[in-house]
Amino acid sequence: MGVLRVNGQDKEFAAEKFPLTVAALLGELGVEAATVVAEVDGQIVEREKFTATELRNGQRIELVRFVPGG
Amino acid sequence: MDRLVVAGREFNSRLLVGTGKFASSEIMAKAIEASGTEIVTVALRRVDIENENDDMLSAIDRNKYLLLPNTSGARDANEAVRLSKLARAATGINWVKLEVTPDPYYLLPDPVETLRAAEILVKDGFIVLPYINADPVLSKRLEDVGTATVMPLASPIGSNQGLRTRASLEIIIEQANVPVVVDAGLGLPSHAADAMEMGADAVLVNTAIATAEEPVKMAEAFKLAVEAGRTAYISGAAGAGKRASASSPLTGFLRDE
Repeated sequence: MGVLRVNGQDKEFAAEKFPLTVAALLGELGVEAATVVAEVDGQIVEREKFTATELRNGQRIELVRFVPGG
Repeated sequence: MDRLVVAGREFNSRLLVGTGKFASSEIMAKAIEASGTEIVTVALRRVDIENENDDMLSAIDRNKYLLLPNTSGARDANEAVRLSKLARAATGINWVKLEVTPDPYYLLPDPVETLRAAEILVKDGFIVLPYINADPVLSKRLEDVGTATVMPLASPIGSNQGLRTRASLEIIIEQANVPVVVDAGLGLPSHAADAMEMGADAVLVNTAIATAEEPVKMAEAFKLAVEAGRTAYISGAAGAGKRASASSPLTGFLRDE
């Protein structure tokens, strides 16, 4: 089993389902990658690096996107 | 109307529009269109991973409008810098509306943290448009560190109170060497026209458009007001006087004196 802290919440994954990349995590969560920017342990991960960025047990992930605002 | 130039980039419109508080993305898109704006602000927030919904901003054509991310929610300089970097990663451009508002009640910007964040961001290559209280000294300090504009508030965000900071805005406009964008609190087109007549280079409006009964029509009203105010400003207003000054001839009356 593995855990990722995603947007402040712990997400548990069975060992065989642990998302190995940022792209896999987004797929698992059902989040459209095209509009998202990620931070992994405080480091920004650009969209084009989602598939190449590997994840490890215990990492902190932030997934953010633009929303309406003034 | 003459063009607005910010950081070397030219704009035909002097109205910036915020995208918050619209009832739907369709109304938002139509209002943006009707406003004639070329710069729209957006915020950056966590994706709601439990409740994934549509991207509200997909209705905005990013080839037509410059997306100006704000740092709303930042309580200090470090948070603002972090948000700016995430926004840059998301847009691929380096423009940011810097706002640091630790107090949620009046949402007044923190001048110390704003200046600190501006210095860091300018050094990092950002084009920084800082939201500030109408403080002429802070305006100069921000200009000195290299911000692209200053964005002093007219009154608290979303309050629709109009130009409560008039005297300070006049000093900021008089002294500024960067565009002055009057932001926050403009509740009516007349407020926007007033700011433009004073010599503001642009205004930013969100709540007054988004929460009007007819946001699309109100967007057009603000467009016209900004154009009227700017045109009046460059026309050189005639001064006010205490006494009457007849507009019709004071001779040739149809009576015998």
